[in-house]
Amino acid sequence: MVRISRVMLKEAGNAIDKTLSEILVCPLSKQPLRFCEKTKSLVSDTIGVSFPIKDGIPCLVPKDGKILDEDADASKAS
Amino acid sequence: MRRIDSVYGRVEILKRVLEKPTKQSHAFSASRSFSTEGAYGGGGESQQNSSRVKIFDRDLKRRDRAAWLSRNKNDTFVDAVAENLLDRLEDCKKSFPSALCLGGSLGAVQRLLRARGGIEKLIMMDTSHDMIKSCRDAQDDNSIETSYLVGDEEFLPIKESSVDLIISSLGLHWTNDLPGSMIQCKLALKPDGLFLAAILGGETLKFVLELRIACTLAHMEREGGISPRLSPLAQVRDAGNLLTRAGFSLPGVDVDEYVVKYKSALDLIEHLRAMGETNALLQRNKAKFSIFLSRIFSILNRETALATAAIYDSMFATEDGTIPATFQVIYMTGWKEHSSHPQAKRRGSATVSFTDIHKQFGGQS
Repeated sequence: MVRISRVMLKEAGNAIDKTLSEILVCPLSKQPLRFCEKTKSLVSDTIGVSFPIKDGIPCLVPKDGKILDEDADASKAS
Repeated sequence: MRRIDSVYGRVEILKRVLEKPTKQSHAFSASRSFSTEGAYGGGGESQQNSSRVKIFDRDLKRRDRAAWLSRNKNDTFVDAVAENLLDRLEDCKKSFPSALCLGGSLGAVQRLLRARGGIEKLIMMDTSHDMIKSCRDAQDDNSIETSYLVGDEEFLPIKESSVDLIISSLGLHWTNDLPGSMIQCKLALKPDGLFLAAILGGETLKFVLELRIACTLAHMEREGGISPRLSPLAQVRDAGNLLTRAGFSLPGVDVDEYVVKYKSALDLIEHLRAMGETNALLQRNKAKFSIFLSRIFSILNRETALATAAIYDSMFATEDGTIPATFQVIYMTGWKEHSSHPQAKRRGSATVSFTDIHKQFGGQS
């Protein structure tokens, strides 16, 4: 698992590019997003939802969001 | 040609006749039955009428849509609209370093942009992942730094005051909440930012809608109790209101009409189906699009579809045997308020009366 994430980082540079990281916010709460290394997803802490990044493209449609459990481990992004 | 009056801005009614190439790659096969049953997005009007629109296959995967799009890059109508929008950038002295392009005919905008408007960073957004991927693959101009994102216009994931320009070509008319989408666009714009959108207007396919009412199929409408408003698309008079309600300053509305000739009514149906399918918003707004289609073609089954098509063909065919369909495109422009914009003065604060002006310039009446 760790090996995979290292490869992805090398290939993609930043998981999402700088332009997007500056302007993206959660579509529902309009609050800033946090990039989660473990699941390679963008997490909106205010509402506890994570949005996947598929193929380097962040998917910020509400229906793609996964509600995070209370536990530390967020559910895997599909 | 019927005159269309507009409250805001100037109205140009141009009739452009575009030759519609037949879509060899995607022939309408009458043996397949298409249905729109399935989840209708939240909001939108609920369709009580039992007539189902059997036009498109709900099992058709999104991937197919992207594939269709790549085969049919030369949709001249869509290109003409995108070109018109982008042309307006040249009219502005301002340059727009960062631009957000919302779904609809994304591909056309990206392809035809050609460094207009001084755009340095372009962000492409659409609700369909496949659509965005195909845009990314099609990117041939590396002079503009382009980012891709999957997002929903009704839930815009863009920070306030972060982009200089928002363009949407033929995308917003399928949103369920057009005012809400426009408000979010306004919020995302930096002060003195520009909002440019092209949407299909209520006069689109009006002719066809009117015929449908005259047809015997009209009794379905009476039975179903549908409201007399034929089209769920915006009217020109609404466009100005939409812009002001969203809080845009210096709103401007233009109308253009494009007459597209089809070889037959079935080709028209096919084009609509494809436009709806390739428009990613459709997946969420099946209700709205299917209402639109059902009001044009209240088609219950294949036989009725063919019969209806035959009627249209016989009634509308021009001398060369093609049938014309009108697409009304409403272009909306609005700016995010800025101190440099002229503001209307408060009522009652006038210091000069019309009589004075009249005296000054000499009576002409």
